[in-house]
Amino acid sequence: MDEFSGRSAIVGLGYSKLERRSPRPLAHFAREAAEAAVADAGLKVEDIDGLGTIPNIAAYGNTGDLEGIDIVTVPNMVQMLGLEHDIRWHVQTPGLCPDTIMAAGAAVASGACTYALVWRAVNVPKGRYSDFSREKAYGGNQFRAPYGFNMPAAWQSVALRKYMHDHGSTREDMAAFVVQNRENTQLNPKAYWHGTPLTVEDYLEAPMVADPFCLYDCDIPVDGCVAVVLASAERARDLRQPPAYITGHAQTTWPTRGGFTDSENMWEGGAAMGEKLWASAGLGPDDIDVAMLYDGFSIFLYVWLEALGFVGRGEAASYIASGATALDGELPLNTSGCSLGEGRLHGMAQISEAVLQVTGRAGARQIEGAAHTIATVGAGTLASGGLIFSREARA
Amino acid sequence: MSANEAAVTKPIPVPDELTAPFWEAANRGVLAIQHCAACERYIHPPEAVCPYCQAQELSFRQVSGRARVYTHTVVRDNITRGFAEGEPYVIGIIELVEQERLVLVANVVGVTPEEVEIGMPLRVTFERLTDDIALPQFEPEEA
Repeated sequence: MDEFSGRSAIVGLGYSKLERRSPRPLAHFAREAAEAAVADAGLKVEDIDGLGTIPNIAAYGNTGDLEGIDIVTVPNMVQMLGLEHDIRWHVQTPGLCPDTIMAAGAAVASGACTYALVWRAVNVPKGRYSDFSREKAYGGNQFRAPYGFNMPAAWQSVALRKYMHDHGSTREDMAAFVVQNRENTQLNPKAYWHGTPLTVEDYLEAPMVADPFCLYDCDIPVDGCVAVVLASAERARDLRQPPAYITGHAQTTWPTRGGFTDSENMWEGGAAMGEKLWASAGLGPDDIDVAMLYDGFSIFLYVWLEALGFVGRGEAASYIASGATALDGELPLNTSGCSLGEGRLHGMAQISEAVLQVTGRAGARQIEGAAHTIATVGAGTLASGGLIFSREARA
Repeated sequence: MSANEAAVTKPIPVPDELTAPFWEAANRGVLAIQHCAACERYIHPPEAVCPYCQAQELSFRQVSGRARVYTHTVVRDNITRGFAEGEPYVIGIIELVEQERLVLVANVVGVTPEEVEIGMPLRVTFERLTDDIALPQFEPEEA
C-alpha cells in the first residue's frame, strides 16, 4: 500500500432531495446536501475550512452554465454558508468526483485544512440532453458531430454492440443486470426509481435510444446534490459516524483516442487504473465485499468488472446473469441502484453507497461485515477514478 | 454564404492546424490519414505528437478507402437539428484496412440499418456539405 492509504476518511454524508425539472435553483439543492453532510459528521458549518467541487455541467450540447442554476461553484457555496473568512483550502476540478475527493483527502491528511466539504450538484438541463444544433463543429467534435455522433448514449452504445458481438452476450443478459439493479433500488428510499419496479419485459420492450441501448441502459437524470465531509484519520475517530477510511485511490489519464470510437480503450484504461488502485491499497478483487461500479450507462458494468479483474475478459455478462452480483451473491454490486436507479449524480451515488456499506449504515440493503468497498466513476478512460474504502484505517 | 451552405443543417467541421490536411484531401475526394514516419503507424484523429512513439514528424498519406464495420449504433432518438429528420440512421465506427484499430466515425449509407453488421466490408464515399467541406462516408463495398 502507499503512504496515502488510510490517512483520510469520509466522516459525513448528505443528500438533497432528488427531483426532476424542479423549479428550485440548483444552489438550494447544494446547500441542502452540504448542511446535511456537515450535520451527519456532527460538525457545525463554521468547522468547515476546506471546499472542493466539480463545477462542470453534467450534459453535452446546448445547455446552460448559469451559477446557482446549472452549476454551484466554490464561491457560491462560500456565500451560501457564510464561510468568507474560514476557507483555508479549496479546489474546483473539472472532471469526475474521485479527483476532487482525492484532493480533499490529501488536504485534510496534510493539514492544509481540517474538515473539507466536497459536493457534486447536477441538474436536468433545460430542453433535452445532447442537442448539438450548432452550425460548426470544432476540435474533436469535427469528426463526430457532423455524423450525428453527438450523444453520450450513442458513444457508449457502440461498445455494447461490440461486446455482444465479441463475447456472445445478449440484451437478455443486460436485462438481468438492470432488473437486479432496480430491485436493489427498491431498498433505497432516496433513489429516484424507488417505488417503480422494472421487469425483464419492461427492459426488452423499452424505446431504443441508440440501438443496442434502450432507455434503461441510460441513467436517470435528476436535479440534486450529494456532499461529503472529509477529515484526517486521527480526527475521524472522534466524530459522530464511523469513518470510511480512504485506503485505495487511483485516477486514470488514459486517452480516449478519438472520443469513444474504439471501445477497447475503456478496458485498457480501466485495467491501467485498476493496477494503480489495487497497489495503492495493498488489496485485490477478492478483498472487496461490496462493489459500486459506475453505471452512467449499462455497458460500464462490464468494463469495470473485467478491467479491475473481478472476472476475466468477456465474462461479466454471464457472471451477472448467474446471480453472483445480487445482494446475497459473492460480490453484491451497486446495492443502492447507483446511477441507473438512484439518479444521475455523476459518481456520487457510487461514492456514497460505498461509504454507507463500509460503515454499516446501508439500512435494509446492508451487506453484513463489509470491511472493504470500492467505488469507480467514469468509462475507464480519461478522468475516470476509483476509491477503496475500509472499515479500519490500514488495509 | 453560398446557396449550398445555406441548405446545410448539420454541424460543419472547422479545420484547424492539425486537421486541415484531412479536410483538404476530403474536399478533393481523397481519404488521407495522418501517418508517423518513425513508427509507420497511422493516427486518427490527427495529433500533435505520435501517441504510439512520441515522434513529432507527422504527415498525411492517402489510404485505400477500404474498411469494415468495427462496431455501430442505430440512432433513433437524437433531437439535434439535421439528424432527427433522418432517423433511424447508422453511425459506424469504421476500421480502415490499413491498420488494426485505425478507426473513424462515419455514417454507413446506401444500406438499411438492419443490414449493417460488424465486419461488413465498406468503401469510402464523400458527402458534400459546403463548397469547402466534404464528409467521408462509407457504403457497402459490393454496392
